[in-house]
Amino acid sequence: MAIVVNLDVMLAKRKMKLKELSEKVGVSTVNLSILKQGKVKAIRFSTLDSICLALDCQPGDILEYVE
Amino acid sequence: MKNLKHIFIALLIIVISGLSSYYLEPNNPIMMTISFLIIGFFIFNLIIRKTLSFKNYFTSQYNLLTTKFRSEKLYDIPKELMFEKVIEVINNSNFKLVETDKDKFEILAISTITFKSWGENLYISFEAEGNETIMKFCSATLFQIYSWGKNEKNITNLLNEIESSLII
Repeated sequence: MAIVVNLDVMLAKRKMKLKELSEKVGVSTVNLSILKQGKVKAIRFSTLDSICLALDCQPGDILEYVE
Repeated sequence: MKNLKHIFIALLIIVISGLSSYYLEPNNPIMMTISFLIIGFFIFNLIIRKTLSFKNYFTSQYNLLTTKFRSEKLYDIPKELMFEKVIEVINNSNFKLVETDKDKFEILAISTITFKSWGENLYISFEAEGNETIMKFCSATLFQIYSWGKNEKNITNLLNEIESSLII
C-alpha cells in the first residue's frame, strides 16, 4: 500500500491513548484501530479534521505516501 | 432462474391450498395432530433460537424445515478487530445482536418476526488466515421450508453496511 498511516506515531508523540482520541474525535476505537492499520476504505475530511484538531497536527503527519 | 423457482413454489402453494377442501375436514384427528405438531415445532424453534448452542440444529443440512443460505467474505483486517467491527455494524443494523462468543469468534444475530417474514437467525463465524479474516455467514430461517430470497438479501445488506462502515 502506498499510503501509510502514522496515527500510532502521532499518538505516541502526544502521549495519547487510542481511547482518549476516540472520545475526542467521536470515532469508535474499533474504527481508529482499523485506520491505524491502514485498512479503512476511505477517510472523510471531517474525520481527518477532527483527528488533526485533537492531535494538534497536520494531515501530512498522519498520512504519508511511500513509494 | 430464481424467479422461475419462486413462481413454481407460488403455484404449488396455490394448488395445495386449492385442494385443501378435499383433505381438510373439521375435527379430523390426523389434521389436528399435524397442526399441533406444526405449532409445537414453531414454538420450540422460537424458544431455542436465541442461543448459539443450537447453531448446529438450525444450520444442519438435515434440518429440512429451515432454509439456509451460506456466504463467505474475505477481509484484510485481523480477526479480533473484524469481530468487534461486525458487532458494531450489527448494533446499527436491522438485525438484533443476541449472543457473541469471544473465544470461538461466533456471533448470533436475529431478525424479528414481521408480517412479511417469519424471522431468521444469522450465524457469523470468523477464521483467521494470516492477517486476513474469512467471515462465514449462515442465515437460517426460523420456520420456513422455502425462502423467497430474503436471507440472501439480508446478508447482502449487512455486507454493504460493513463495507460502508469502513469509510470512517
